[in-house]
Amino acid sequence: MAGPETPLGSVIRLTVLQGQYKVSAGPRVELGTVLGSCVATCLFDPSAELGGMNHFLLPEPPASHAREEVDVHYGVYLMEMLINEMLCYGARKERLRAHLYGGANIRAGMAPIGTSNANFARGFLERERIELVRADLGGSAARRIDFRPFSGQVRCRTVSTSDVPDAAPQPRAATHRGDVELF
Amino acid sequence: MNRTTRVLTVDDSASMRALLNHALSTNGFDVAQADDGVSALEWLAVNEVDVVITDINMPRLDGFGLIEQVRGGTRHRDRPILVLTTESSDEKKARARSAGATGWIVKPFDTDKLVAAVRRVAH
Repeated sequence: MAGPETPLGSVIRLTVLQGQYKVSAGPRVELGTVLGSCVATCLFDPSAELGGMNHFLLPEPPASHAREEVDVHYGVYLMEMLINEMLCYGARKERLRAHLYGGANIRAGMAPIGTSNANFARGFLERERIELVRADLGGSAARRIDFRPFSGQVRCRTVSTSDVPDAAPQPRAATHRGDVELF
Repeated sequence: MNRTTRVLTVDDSASMRALLNHALSTNGFDVAQADDGVSALEWLAVNEVDVVITDINMPRLDGFGLIEQVRGGTRHRDRPILVLTTESSDEKKARARSAGATGWIVKPFDTDKLVAAVRRVAH
């Protein structure tokens, strides 16, 4: 569960960087991120008053993926990690409600990664039967998202593309990736 | 004649089931899938299996409960059970081990490592 990072007034703001997810039930906690082609999922369980956010760069590993391409920056893993972390802290999957943001195609002429991310996120929620209550996806503008996990409130603003961090995935250490321990 | 190794994967995530199915079936395994511990037990009651791969956090019956019930039964009590999970805590790993798990694999899985582990415990 996320801890305090930058106290500001009465609100504790936590940044969810690319490839990360955070879960909190803190009434003063606000999870924030800035998105270009990446997608952020905000999940909320109103009964447990618990929420979480992830921020992924790419949807799924391709069928022909090389070993080094398997890392936690893929949406399919970050979605599951976010859901599992919420279940650990008392959420119930059938109560989860989702918001999706991002998926912009900021640079013309480049592969529409934002569209792929957005389509994956919608499809994932549909397959997992998680209710999508709000989506602001696509377009060509960057977005800043501020999410209150305790109440489920989300604010989505358009920001300058210069505020978007470069997509520079940092693969999880190889020693952790798919490690097998036989008892 | 060598029989194809049959693997039952148990995971509530449809996306993870699709990834596992692709990884295992393209490596020659016969794959069956269940979406939680209850569905897995129902399938195991009428089918044979060589290896079970299970998630931990699932609705109705979680991975710990599934392992305990398989180990407490008679039909599949000696079958290898690999836990495939995003959990990384030593406490949960110890709990899985004491319930009777054969091994512990941390997601995201590496196909080569997963396949090697399944082959190793299947024989």
